[in-house]
Amino acid sequence: MKASKRTWMSPLVFVTLTFMPTHLPRLAAQVAAAATSPSSDTLAGTQWSVQVMQIDRGDVNLEPSFQIAIYENLLNELGKIKRFKQVFRDGDRSAMNEANLLILKTTVEQYTPGGETRRAVTTVSGATKLSVRSQLCTRDVHIVLEHTVHGNVRFLGSNLRATHNLAHNVAKTIKQASMSEPSHFSPSARGEHDFVPTGSI
Amino acid sequence: MYYIVVAPRRTPAGLLLPRACACLILSICCGVASMGQKTSESAIATGAHGVRATHILGFVGARKNANGALSIQADTLQFQSSDKPAAGVKIASVQDVVVGEMSTQVGGLPMTMSKAAVPYGGGRVLSLFAHKKYDSLAVRYVDADGGIHGAIFQLHKGEAELLRRELVAKGVRVNQTETGAARGPAEVPRESK
Repeated sequence: MKASKRTWMSPLVFVTLTFMPTHLPRLAAQVAAAATSPSSDTLAGTQWSVQVMQIDRGDVNLEPSFQIAIYENLLNELGKIKRFKQVFRDGDRSAMNEANLLILKTTVEQYTPGGETRRAVTTVSGATKLSVRSQLCTRDVHIVLEHTVHGNVRFLGSNLRATHNLAHNVAKTIKQASMSEPSHFSPSARGEHDFVPTGSI
Repeated sequence: MYYIVVAPRRTPAGLLLPRACACLILSICCGVASMGQKTSESAIATGAHGVRATHILGFVGARKNANGALSIQADTLQFQSSDKPAAGVKIASVQDVVVGEMSTQVGGLPMTMSKAAVPYGGGRVLSLFAHKKYDSLAVRYVDADGGIHGAIFQLHKGEAELLRRELVAKGVRVNQTETGAARGPAEVPRESK
């Protein structure tokens, strides 16, 4: 009985010992490659560049510091998600030469000013709430993506933290959305309409 | 066999504990209030060395939430923090300057943790006194490529307006309508001290 067990085990040990050193690095490399290589959708996204326009506050009485904070945080967060080849600022002349450019327009829809002290004292009230309509469109104003995104501060953090949360949510929405490849849009239309930056901080 | 049942008496230590807590809360309250007063009464440090400011975000070359001096050096708006070389932008590239107000809780994370540790909701009472009003200075400027940047600084009360006037005197245009909107309260009026 013992002899038969030994005969069973020895080929198994042999196979394991030969397989592990030769195939393990390859397997590990394959797993790593699968983890780092972008999917086809992400690959399509990397062909686009994006230009972030200044925040349009619409009819909402939003403070200028909030407008600036949303704009700057959007640039920061969109750079982090690595979905776009380049992230341009509003008015950047180098964006004119970019063939596949998307334009991110952000319009404030709702703003509820809160208070850090009210939050600290009451816990349940004093939340700062922001809601924006975010449009990602091509130069010829073909809307690729449109979403209403919220950003709030409910407990800890300053009021401007809402702008960071909002920008993070916008970037997350764009990252999760599936976008068409640049080739899907007619090349004749592209470049004919130069986008005129609007809005002010 | 008989046992004599004695009613439990409150020990001196048991009596002292709530009193000690109350004293602690009271002393912290007084300390925080006096700290706020001291800082609000601090002299405005203007002049060649600039005003003390905290960089919130957006100024190229400066770290977020860095403390330093914001000044106007010749034709440059400069922010000098203690740990990094000075960052600056040409005043000619500044497109708009807006002054606003903000109110924040003082003490940062240690204070927040302390408030959470105070029993009987004493932390909430502390929060009532542990806030301070600041001025915010929002600066919009363009870089060499024409890209628009926005920077926000937090300054002591009254200093942002001085700096804004100085910038306007140097030729910076200010959008009047935006400024009017900016003077509105940054927080709900109930919090005004």
